[in-house]
Amino acid sequence: MALPRAEWSDRSQELAQLLGRAGLGDRAAFATLYQRSSPHLFAVILRINRDQAQAEDILQEVYVNVWRAAAGFDAAQSQPMTWLTSIARNRAIDSLRRAGAQPRLDSGHAMDDEDNNVYDQTADEAPGPLELLSQAADARQLQHCMAALSAPQRQSLALAYYDGLSHAEVAEKMDQPLGTVKSWVRRALLALKSCLEHAAVADRATSPRAKT
Amino acid sequence: MDYSRPDLADRLAADYVAGTLRGPARRRLEALLPAHPVLRRAVHDWQDRLAPLTASIAPQTPPAMVWSRIEARIGGAAPAAARQRWWQQLVVWQGFTAVAGVAVLSLAVLLGSPGEPAAPIIVVLNAATPPAAQAGAGAGGVVNASFVASISADGRALVTRPLSNVAVQADRALELWSVPASGAPRSLGLISADAATVVKRNKVLAGTAALAVSLEPAGGSTTGAPSGPVLYVGKLSL
Repeated sequence: MALPRAEWSDRSQELAQLLGRAGLGDRAAFATLYQRSSPHLFAVILRINRDQAQAEDILQEVYVNVWRAAAGFDAAQSQPMTWLTSIARNRAIDSLRRAGAQPRLDSGHAMDDEDNNVYDQTADEAPGPLELLSQAADARQLQHCMAALSAPQRQSLALAYYDGLSHAEVAEKMDQPLGTVKSWVRRALLALKSCLEHAAVADRATSPRAKT
Repeated sequence: MDYSRPDLADRLAADYVAGTLRGPARRRLEALLPAHPVLRRAVHDWQDRLAPLTASIAPQTPPAMVWSRIEARIGGAAPAAARQRWWQQLVVWQGFTAVAGVAVLSLAVLLGSPGEPAAPIIVVLNAATPPAAQAGAGAGGVVNASFVASISADGRALVTRPLSNVAVQADRALELWSVPASGAPRSLGLISADAATVVKRNKVLAGTAALAVSLEPAGGSTTGAPSGPVLYVGKLSL
């Protein structure tokens, strides 16, 4: 499943090397790692927890943890940015739990027009979840696979993944029954998995590397 | 519940990584991860699948103050609060060397004042991370154990030997590193997991503050730095 290391981007290779050195106690390497990766992680955290001060605290916790856990990073298991992003996402999601059921939903958004896409209505200037999905999809096979999802599947997954909304919050935001939303998210994930697996197989069949 | 069932593990992992698994269920899964390789693998796979989605979020540079606070916490400013680096914690080897009856040698002797018969230096490399933390990192099937390295008095040869059987997956290898007090580690080559390995270098010890063993793909790290988890580490005390 994991992309072979030889096919990683230069950026990934560099981050892996910095992590390896940080794992051996190299502070300078860790500082560089922070410079390279913190703007991304901070943005990921801010999408989930929009409270600036809390997001800064979370980022701090994330990197203190990365410093302590860097020796355990295994480049054979995951790419560095995937590893870092997962730590940041987990911390951010946990922070929502601690803050109580503090609703971060824009209240009072009536869905009077069914065709109107609620995810492009976000008032702030940050790209809406749907827009983020389609941009990220360019990076990989994801575009093709995301396109195969139905609109509600895509929307529910975007709200859950980017904004850290629970099933219940997604249901509230989309004004749909909880069970319906649960099954949209579930089916979106399954469809994505199967599509990515097919893409990987097709890729391997056409790649000369496959012959080795 | 049987968490080794792949379909169940996959479903839980998907919910966990997507973020929709919440509350006690989320905490329960996190607690299960270290002991359930199937579940851990499933979580890794879902992270691989979904993490690229975040690539399109516009980066936001955090305020400089955040880094200052991190720096203060990981050392320097507040050493009492910060955890010591793993290789500074290893008092264990001192006891070992006392038992082994090894004299403490001066750096001058090591780097080769000729003629002085000198005992080799013994370094014990212990598990770098607590077993629980290591399990979380998916340490590639390596059983907890330790290595002993003896360095010839002239500093030109080093022999590593596992103290107990170390099982390494066929596609992985152990790599030995010389870790300086500051700066990049230097590879000393691959070492055997179940037999003695002799490492010959002109100056094994030049600038070495500690020895470390990392888990690498077969053939070793290709980056010049450890790319897998650091499994064992031992501080050199001269």
